[in-house]
Amino acid sequence: MNATKAIFLKELRIEFRNKQTIIFALILSLMILASFRFAFSFIDFSLTELASPIIWVTFFFSGMFSLAPVYKKEVEQGTRDGLLLAPISPASIFLGKFLANFLVILGLELFSLSLFFVFFPVPTPDMVALLTIIILGTIGFAALGNLISAISSNLSQSEIMLPVLLVPILLFTIVMTSVSSTSEIFLGANLNEIFESIKLILVFDIVFLASGYLLIDYVLED
Amino acid sequence: MTHEILSARSITKSFGHDRVLRELDLTINKGDIYVLFGSNGAGKTTLMKVLSTLHPADSGEIMLFGMKSEENVRDIRAKIGFMSHETFLYDDLSAWENLNFYADLYSVHNKKKRIKEILKMVGLYHRSHDKVRSFSRGMAQRLSLARAVLHDPELIFLDEPYSGLDLRAQEVLNNLVIELNKKGKTFFIITHDIEKGFDISNRNGILSNGTIVIDKELDKANFSEKYNEILRREADERN
Repeated sequence: MNATKAIFLKELRIEFRNKQTIIFALILSLMILASFRFAFSFIDFSLTELASPIIWVTFFFSGMFSLAPVYKKEVEQGTRDGLLLAPISPASIFLGKFLANFLVILGLELFSLSLFFVFFPVPTPDMVALLTIIILGTIGFAALGNLISAISSNLSQSEIMLPVLLVPILLFTIVMTSVSSTSEIFLGANLNEIFESIKLILVFDIVFLASGYLLIDYVLED
Repeated sequence: MTHEILSARSITKSFGHDRVLRELDLTINKGDIYVLFGSNGAGKTTLMKVLSTLHPADSGEIMLFGMKSEENVRDIRAKIGFMSHETFLYDDLSAWENLNFYADLYSVHNKKKRIKEILKMVGLYHRSHDKVRSFSRGMAQRLSLARAVLHDPELIFLDEPYSGLDLRAQEVLNNLVIELNKKGKTFFIITHDIEKGFDISNRNGILSNGTIVIDKELDKANFSEKYNEILRREADERN
């Protein structure tokens, strides 16, 4: 637990001190939302129906941007072997990085969500339901993203390999379920009415977290 | 009486068709400063990574502190320090923060006292709160040594420790190694440079074609002669 906490704090400290990834991800979110706003200003559309895909596309790309360097930067900076030589479980490395990444992505998403409400004047949905879906979706996103970031860090062209490996799995699991339940929320559904979706996302979260926890040892081994 | 800290028997390691280590035998005793020389590509770094549990050997047996390497990885890692030509340090963290992070990973007791003590030992206490990014190569290497010995390991691996260091920094590093050796620490050092490594060693070896071809006490002149002969032979074989 000590090692997980140390890795979690180290990740956040470096992330907020360096700021590079966060600033780029924030700018990316802004650009995506502004592009959608611009594109949709020429056509008639139902804001409440399109809100969900707009939000999740923005979350998806800005989140992926912040996931890419999670393990790659350890390889590039030559600190990977330092972590592996420590007398700790590789699962601690996964958990520490996952928790830090989850918080960073969630922060980015909350920023994007605020921007979304500025760009797109929609009736305020059930915020408890919306935040529940966002938090649960982000857990699965960060868990699978961390595992695949670790896998791709050993490959050449890792920046390309991350989305190639991550998108197909994430799209048909977390993203699809989150988009459909977020749509329902914008059309007036409350927490009880999306309970089946919540259960499904929870299952994905557990599967992705367990996969990362159990497989990271083999992934980090050369 | 010699106390064996590391014993490797018939170690082999290949990467694809490339056999890097071939039936290698090695013993390191407590208190040794064992320096292993070898040309670039001789398999020095691979050997060090295999001995330090970072890579598994394909075959053979490694015993560290009386424990089988592959069965007691975490216990062994707690007792070894590793300093590579990569410093394992985070540029965006200060010297203190880097050591504090590794102290947590190694569950170091009284960590504040220990970090202070170790920073003073490597002469970097006055730069404790400066980011590693602002350090010279020599300072980063000294901090890297501090990181490697922070948890008071019994056996310390140094992989090309003189890489990128000026003469003054090399001297400082050698003095630190000798000082730690006097306190009972055992060192296994690999380098290609006989001038820099020989003087602090009390045991030497030469790695060639994936195996240790010389492992005995010779004076510097004889050892250098043998080493140069091996380097020439390797160059001829390559051509």
